Amino acid sequence: MANSIEAYLRELKSEMGGSDIATIQDALSDAEEHLSTALKNQQMEQPELDSQVALAAIIEQYGTPAETASAYKEVERRTSPALVRPASPKPASILGRFFGVYIDPKAWGSMLYMLISLVTGIFYFTWVVTGLSLSLGLAVLIFGLPLGLFFILSVRGLALLEGRIVEALLGVRMPRRPLFAPQGGKWLDRIKALLLDKHTWLAMLYMGLQLILGILYFTLLVVPLSISATFLMTPAIQLIYHIPVISLNGIQYFLSPGYLILCVLGGILLLTLTMHMSKGIGQLHGRFAKFMLVTE
Amino acid sequence: MEDLEQLTKKFQKEINAGIASLVLLSVLDQSKEALYGYQIAKMLDDRSENTPLMKQGALYPVLRSLEGSGLLSSMVEPSVSGPPRRYYNITAEGRQTLQVWTEVWNQTDNFVNAVLKGINNG
Repeated sequence: MANSIEAYLRELKSEMGGSDIATIQDALSDAEEHLSTALKNQQMEQPELDSQVALAAIIEQYGTPAETASAYKEVERRTSPALVRPASPKPASILGRFFGVYIDPKAWGSMLYMLISLVTGIFYFTWVVTGLSLSLGLAVLIFGLPLGLFFILSVRGLALLEGRIVEALLGVRMPRRPLFAPQGGKWLDRIKALLLDKHTWLAMLYMGLQLILGILYFTLLVVPLSISATFLMTPAIQLIYHIPVISLNGIQYFLSPGYLILCVLGGILLLTLTMHMSKGIGQLHGRFAKFMLVTE
Repeated sequence: MEDLEQLTKKFQKEINAGIASLVLLSVLDQSKEALYGYQIAKMLDDRSENTPLMKQGALYPVLRSLEGSGLLSSMVEPSVSGPPRRYYNITAEGRQTLQVWTEVWNQTDNFVNAVLKGINNG
């Protein structure tokens, strides 16, 4: 039997083994919130009661770690992550699988993510660089401290927001509530704990890297998309508007019909490959984001 | 064969799986303000007669999944002492859903009671 809230949380964590990290985090923070509130209330009502006895009664009502873990697993089994549609059934043939990417919500989600990651990347990077240099520069002054604290808390908030975007667009389960800053104790202790928490620094690193990744993703998406669009448009441009493919020294070069068909086929091939690539990048980035923002 | 107690536990768990959502929606619908998990659990304990039908810990994942499907909304507020609390509120969609579900529950209730009575009398 767990004789402290910490011990209960430890047991719950090991019982939750095999579940999604984000679900584990949800379960732990729910249990922490409930048990400490219940214990505090109990102590107010019956101050003479031994806290261990009180906790045992509270856990009896809340459920053992095993029971609680199974409740979360049950619900997790019944519901899929937010906004993720059930995986579309896989078409059997290779051709079907190749072109099936067009109806795969994951591919479209990834493309959207790659598109907006440039914007969010620039914002995150600016925020981190500005915040970090302001905090460090003003650390010697009296208002440097609250500014630094605000900056660190904002990084954690932005990390949660990025997690929500990643879950919605890439379908990777991310936490739905902020990580707990350790409670109790003095302000200075809290700031120290925030500074010692690796999540703070990993989130900051992630936000800095997001600029580079954002530029990379955006380029990797927009370049092949424009090329395949050009290929697909070539017949229309040539046949309807009579604009040559190449115009050199006054000589206009047009493609013969056979090459025009090849152009369209090439455009379709490139577009499909781009969709596959986006899907792959999206999955990789989802794993990366999870590693950086939710690691144990 | 499993013994009666175990079978009963399993039966209760299966029933609870659906009821918990209905009960939680209803509690939040009747409440004027947002509630956090412990308050809800306390209210439900006061309502149930002898032994509570479900462990309090089992309510939280249901709250989260209701929030996930947009029937509840929530926000985290720091508390003076202890960890921050998550306050839940019912959404407009949640209220609509509750109406329909209450209807479903009443039908189920009538049906099951009718069948049970029929078996006892016949």
